[in-house]
Amino acid sequence: MRVAVIGLDCAAPELIFHKLKDYLPNLSMMTEAGISGKLRSCDPPITVPAWMVMSTGRSPGELGLYGFRSRVPNSYNDIKIPTSQDIKFDTVWDILGKRNKRSIIIAVPPSYPPKPVPGLLVTDFLTPDTNKEFTYPPGLKNDILRDFPDYKFDVKFRKPEKKQILDEIYRMTDTRFRMAEKMLKEKQWDFFFMVEIGIDRIHHSFWRYIDEESHLYENDPEMKEKFISYFKMVDSHIGKMLEQFDEDTVVLIVSDHGAKAMKGAFAFNQWLIKEGYLKLNGNIPKQGASLDELDIDWSHSKAWAWGGYYARVFLNIKGREPEGIIDVRDVKKELEILKEKIKSIKGPNGEEWKTRVFEPEEAYPVVNGDRSDLFVYLDDLSWRTAGTVGYDTDYLLENDTGPDDAVHDYDGIYIMYRKNKKIGKVIDSTIFRIAPTILEFYRVRKMYGMQGKPLEGFDYFE
Amino acid sequence: MVTDKKYTTVSLPTPLFEKIQEKIKGTGFTSVSDYVTFVLREILTHGTDQEAFNAEDEKKVKDRLRSLGYLD
Repeated sequence: MRVAVIGLDCAAPELIFHKLKDYLPNLSMMTEAGISGKLRSCDPPITVPAWMVMSTGRSPGELGLYGFRSRVPNSYNDIKIPTSQDIKFDTVWDILGKRNKRSIIIAVPPSYPPKPVPGLLVTDFLTPDTNKEFTYPPGLKNDILRDFPDYKFDVKFRKPEKKQILDEIYRMTDTRFRMAEKMLKEKQWDFFFMVEIGIDRIHHSFWRYIDEESHLYENDPEMKEKFISYFKMVDSHIGKMLEQFDEDTVVLIVSDHGAKAMKGAFAFNQWLIKEGYLKLNGNIPKQGASLDELDIDWSHSKAWAWGGYYARVFLNIKGREPEGIIDVRDVKKELEILKEKIKSIKGPNGEEWKTRVFEPEEAYPVVNGDRSDLFVYLDDLSWRTAGTVGYDTDYLLENDTGPDDAVHDYDGIYIMYRKNKKIGKVIDSTIFRIAPTILEFYRVRKMYGMQGKPLEGFDYFE
Repeated sequence: MVTDKKYTTVSLPTPLFEKIQEKIKGTGFTSVSDYVTFVLREILTHGTDQEAFNAEDEKKVKDRLRSLGYLD
């Protein structure tokens, strides 16, 4: 028995199981034959840390990973991009490797720089470029660049050239799948895990063409068609992989989080300035100025925020931050006051928001690494956070940086399938159950402190 | 020693070599060298605090993340 995991970053239940179902013969067949459902992501439901939660069975708190950047401890805005070296727990392929199982691992974030694995590893979209060592063993890089010279880790967005970007994402995904199919065919493997980031990029930039409910909705049949043909291409590659898998292979299609229409971006630091939490020396230099571009009077500032799909709010604490002013004994009280203020933020037309605010200690049993004091999901993630300032309003209808049509949603998807098994059940589950499920199929029952149990119904596939 | 060669030889006590040979039978490791390389790399990556990115690499990744709207 072996397991093949095909990760579709950001694949959303509404699209895969409903809206696009008829265009996706392979995924639909697997859904009908296997066990499938929504897969509740971790908090925060973001690519980093979610794929590592899936791969290690550990919470973001244990991993000490809370997003695409970590703060350099004691700094205000010095950031560090997470790398494979930040992962201090064994992944499922590490655990299987100790039992002499060979794995093929492709683009599971964060996996740069490449760590040794018994088998083959290609790093993820946080790799600088293909000039770097991006494989294990190192020689694999040459084979990949020989066969797939235009191999790409990710795309870079240039706002006005939407059609070209879509084509670029299409080619990137197509190439990665072709590479994966070649490796599956030619290399020896006991475990396979790949992640395709293109789906996430497509959602963020082109959601407006398929979601009539979105305030950004554009009726553009050509773009809609392109969006759909991207998914058809992904589905046909999954079909090609299925041809290679025998009856003894359990296939898991998974996503790390879902997506929904972005309602807008809320200029959080601008709000903190108005509320008296963040003080500036002088004027705001320009519209859209980032924290780095502001002259902040830290000795009179109580809090600041980082933007993204959720807001990270930091208090300026005496002894922790360079110019901290909040006494450590007052932190609890200050947090309670700020939480209430954040919860009372209303929408642009005075509508109530379903905002969630929590301290990391409330979300995780263990909290490692440098984290913000508060995590904020504005209007249940429908509004993203802009960290930049200098706008006429706190409510921006477009994102402050980069293009964005979609925000993240809590629920991703999973489909568990094995050839010639007809089960056809829908059972919603959580991301914490993926690593234990994989190990269960290899009869590894020592769960290494993972909190989840194998997916319900996994035993139908044994 | 600095060399342009991709591989070089190290000496192992014969009984250890044989023990490894025995251990990797029927596994994915195709040779003792394969196994020893894996184990040593594992120890070295876990045992060092070397920076993963140099300044230029980090800028490249940050620029891309910024263009995707992940930073700020």
